[in-house]
Amino acid sequence: MSLVNYATREITCKIVYYGPGRSGKTTNLHYIYGQVPEDRKGKMVSLATQTDRTLFFDFLPLDLGTISGFTTKFQLYTVPGQVYYQTTRKLVLQGADGVVFVADSQARQLQENIESLQDLHSNLAEQGIEARSVPLVLQYNKQDLPRDLVLTPAELNDALNFRGVPEFGADALHGPGVFETLRSISELVLKRLSAPVR
Amino acid sequence: MTITAVETWVEAPLRKFVEEARTVLGLLLHPSGQVVAQFGFARAVDVMSACALAAAIHASSGELGKQLEGKAFRGLHHPGRDRQLYLAEAATSRGAFIFLTVFDQESSFGLVRMYFDTFCKDLAAAAPPMSHQPEVVLEDRFEHELNRNLAALFGRG
Repeated sequence: MSLVNYATREITCKIVYYGPGRSGKTTNLHYIYGQVPEDRKGKMVSLATQTDRTLFFDFLPLDLGTISGFTTKFQLYTVPGQVYYQTTRKLVLQGADGVVFVADSQARQLQENIESLQDLHSNLAEQGIEARSVPLVLQYNKQDLPRDLVLTPAELNDALNFRGVPEFGADALHGPGVFETLRSISELVLKRLSAPVR
Repeated sequence: MTITAVETWVEAPLRKFVEEARTVLGLLLHPSGQVVAQFGFARAVDVMSACALAAAIHASSGELGKQLEGKAFRGLHHPGRDRQLYLAEAATSRGAFIFLTVFDQESSFGLVRMYFDTFCKDLAAAAPPMSHQPEVVLEDRFEHELNRNLAALFGRG
């Protein structure tokens, strides 16, 4: 649930980047962190292992500026992708206003993507949240890899996008698709504040 | 001492706690990591990082407690050389909140715990009933401003 402070006219939303291990969730946040001016971002917090795998989460607070007279802030989180960090994923997912599912486009990772998406739905259900009610955007990352290694966005859509949500091909390491993904999830999340579901 | 509160009803109980327990920093937050009120922090972004970390500590120590004792730990105390922190949950009719407070030699762990118990009662008493009526906050056509701000954020403005 987005937090709205009417006194200071501030909105704070929580966006969680979800997906299988090594799909590029942290890379998305690193790219965003690198692009955004100092005065519009906070410190990026990474709770990672010595080998830089996300242990608990990455966290990046962003100031989106004023929208409809409200100072709008986004808190971007990633979850650890590896299967055995299930408890941690549930904790980070608590109170999410929107989810970006970062899929690994490599053909050999398709099963991991499917399992991670199922894991997302089951974790939301466990928190009493109907998955279809949560703003969701799919990002098909690593589209820059050689064509014979990756599935096309259309093929990934067939396997993953049964809800018909916005989807973006991306190369999070170098930037293409990162901005578009963030813009799309921001819009979906904020739309709920302009016309809440009754 | 300046207290910033997202929800005004938490302000009075928090002010009373700060004055009585003499702590130097305080954060009241949702278990999801969203700030509800704060005192003592200089920059808004530091508050957000502290909230994310406090929520993580609370969640992970809670899970650890459940595994060790079958239920979550009630609170967490970290003694430092000059400063100490206390992290615990406060239950209200609007759900549970997490409270993080930092104190120095002006206070003590015993004092903080004692006043925290009072704070929990004050908070529970002050909590208005939950409203389930969603409100329209943004104008219908906010997308233009969103796109403009995001473009500026990414240096595409």
